[in-house]
This record gives sequence, C-alpha cells and structure tokens, in this order.
Amino acid sequence: MSDDSTRAAMLEEVALYALGLLPRDQAALVIAFIANDDEAYAEYRDLSSTADALALTADEPVDSARTARMKERLMARVRADAPRRGPLAARSIAPARGWFVGAGLLAAALVFALITFGQNVSLRSDLATAQRRAGTLQSQLAQSERSGARTRNDLTQTLTDLVSPDARRYEVAQGTVVVRSNRVYFALSQLPALPRGHVYQAWTAAKGSSAMQPSLTFTPNADGVAVVQLPVDADKVGVVAVSVEPDGGSKAPTTTPTFIRPLS
Amino acid sequence: MERVSARDVAAFEALYDAYHRLVFGIGLRMLGDPALAEDVTQTVFLKLWTAPAAFRGGSFVAWVSRVTRNCSLDVLRSRAARPETEIPADLALDGALEDAIFVRLDAQRLRDALATLPIEQRSLIEQGFFAGVTHAELARRTDTPLGTVKTRIRSGLHRLRRALGEQVPG
Repeated sequence: MSDDSTRAAMLEEVALYALGLLPRDQAALVIAFIANDDEAYAEYRDLSSTADALALTADEPVDSARTARMKERLMARVRADAPRRGPLAARSIAPARGWFVGAGLLAAALVFALITFGQNVSLRSDLATAQRRAGTLQSQLAQSERSGARTRNDLTQTLTDLVSPDARRYEVAQGTVVVRSNRVYFALSQLPALPRGHVYQAWTAAKGSSAMQPSLTFTPNADGVAVVQLPVDADKVGVVAVSVEPDGGSKAPTTTPTFIRPLS
Repeated sequence: MERVSARDVAAFEALYDAYHRLVFGIGLRMLGDPALAEDVTQTVFLKLWTAPAAFRGGSFVAWVSRVTRNCSLDVLRSRAARPETEIPADLALDGALEDAIFVRLDAQRLRDALATLPIEQRSLIEQGFFAGVTHAELARRTDTPLGTVKTRIRSGLHRLRRALGEQVPG
C-alpha cells in the first residue's frame, strides 16, 4: 500500500469520526492522527461542522399538547431548583482549540506507551481527564524524547498500522488484535479494572506450538483502554493471549486468560 | 447561556422555547419513540440548567445537538448491546459553520442540500448520523463493502459542505 493511499484511508477514518461512527478504540487513534496532522485537523473541522448541521433536519414542529406537557414537566423541576441553588460560579471559557491540546497529549501518551513496551498506556478519550494528566504526560514525553527512541515518523507508522485497511484484525471480547506486516498490537477498550497489585500480561505461542511464552505487562487507563505493541515478530506467532497476573508478571499464566486468540 | 448560568429562569425558558423542537426531533429520529424522545429532551435541558458550564462556547446549536445525540445513544445502548460510538460534546466547535450560519440554515435548506447528494451517499450519511451505529454495522445493514461505505461518507460530507456553502455564502 502506497503512502498516498494509506493517507487517503486515514482521512476517510477522519470523516467517519466526524460523523460519530467510530467505536471508541478506533476513535482514539484517529484523534491522535488529527492532533498530529494539520491537514487532518482541517479536514476534521470542515466535516464535523457539516455533520453537526445535519441535526437541523430533525427540527420539525412538535404538537402543542406535547410541547406544553414537556415544558410544564421541565419548568416545574427548574423552578423548584432555582432558589435553592442560587447563581453558579463564574467560569472561564476554554478556547475550542484547547480540546486538541488534550488530543495532542493523548497522542503524546500513545507515543510514550508504544515506545515503552510493558509500561502503562494512557489513551485518553476524555478532555477533562487529558487536561488533568497534562503534567504527567508532558513529563513522560520528555522522557521519551530524551531516550531518542521515537520520532514523529514512528508515531505516524504506528497509527497507520492501527487504522490501515490492509491490517489484519482479530476481534476479541475486549477489543481487537491488529497485525500489520510483522507487527502485532492489542487495541483494547473494555478491560475490567484490575485488583490492587495486579497487571494484565500478554502471552504468545509460536506457530505450531501450544506453549505460552510470557510477554509484556500493561495496565489500562481509567476507561479500560489500552493500546500496546507486542515485542514479537508477527510472522512467527500463532496465538496471543492476555491474563491477569501479579505485579511484575508471571512465567506462566496463573489465572484463566482474559482472552486467547489464534492469529489465523 | 450567561443568563442561564446566573440562574435566570426566564432565560432558560426562552432557550427551551427556541431549541426544544430540535432536541425532541433528534431524539425522535434516533429513537423512533416519542415517549423516549420526551425523556431525552428533559435530560438535555436539565443538563443545561444544572451544568451550563459544560457549554464551552462556539456554536450552541452544534453543541446541544451533540449532547442530544449522545444522550440518545445512551438510550440506544441501554436497549441493545452496541459498540460505543460517541460525539465529544467539547470537540472543536470553531469550525467554519459558525453559529451565525447555523441561524441562517434551517431544516428545509439542509434537506435541499442533502437532496443534491447521490442517494447512496445521502442514505449512508443520514443513517450514520441518526442510527447511532458504527460504519461496520452500516456496511452490514446496507450490504455494502466497508471500503465503499468509508469512501461514500467522506465524499458525501464534502459534497454536502459544498452545497451548504453555496446556499449560505459568506
């Protein structure tokens, strides 16, 4: 697949995101792409405002009896609430572009997560949380920059792998296992919270073998989202799995696997 | 919205009068049930009243529409297992279709602009916007290859944007 066709495919993902059609795990990746690409950002701005306008087609007359009933029900609640709560505190208005600062931090988190195999991954889909964690993520990014391990091109490669139409995708209950070229990723979005002192651990079995080999450990974010690249050669792996293990990981699974997925 | 933040009941009532048709209409299109659409309308406006700071500026129409869509998606999710798609209500609302242009647009103009799209693009965009499903589900429902769904949606949105631009210049 050429760079041009890959880029066109990613811009199609941006359009899907603008219309609100992407599941959360895929949306998070597109957010990172938008945050790191001026053309994608411009495309998103144009198409999301166009998508927003579609809502106006739903603006139709409501019969008067229903309107009166809804209003009476609502205003009764509001009037009862008004004297009790009093004026709300003044607030600052964040610039709209501020959301993308959060998205940029999300991308930074993704970069950091992907270059530090086995470390926690923090993929934010929530502005407020992203902003709260800004300091931490900037610190993490500084660490990754010091390590010199990754460049923006590497990030683009990773994001491209994850959203590329020619990637192989293997569904699991918690998300998707993505394989592109010789690279393997977990893009998981519905991981249950872990008990204290535990982590998720990835396992791999070579093609033709049933013996599980220990791989990296990881912890999902507060939303149950984790995106990790496994340090393996996809051409040699026949099965991947995840289980919950004590901090530091185990040499063999000690709990029933969260999922086991043959890559075929 | 500033007056609503100051607990001005009359201002809130005026907001309701101006936008309840839109909120109820989105709920009805997405849920297909007037009673559920009423509940969504109640929820959205109560959110406006109790947490006006959630609106961070930009186009109010776009924002309240996104809040309504998300509220309706919550209802859809509670009725059936669905992938979690969501429109971030805080997303950049500094797009080129500013509030002033929204004011000049109306349902008929939108319908006219939509009518300029080929049916295969229009259908996917409308279903995608109001059905609360993923693109993969759209492909399945319409028996259309996934790649074709993506291309049609992107092309259709661009075409719709151009059509709106022609109808509402500058």
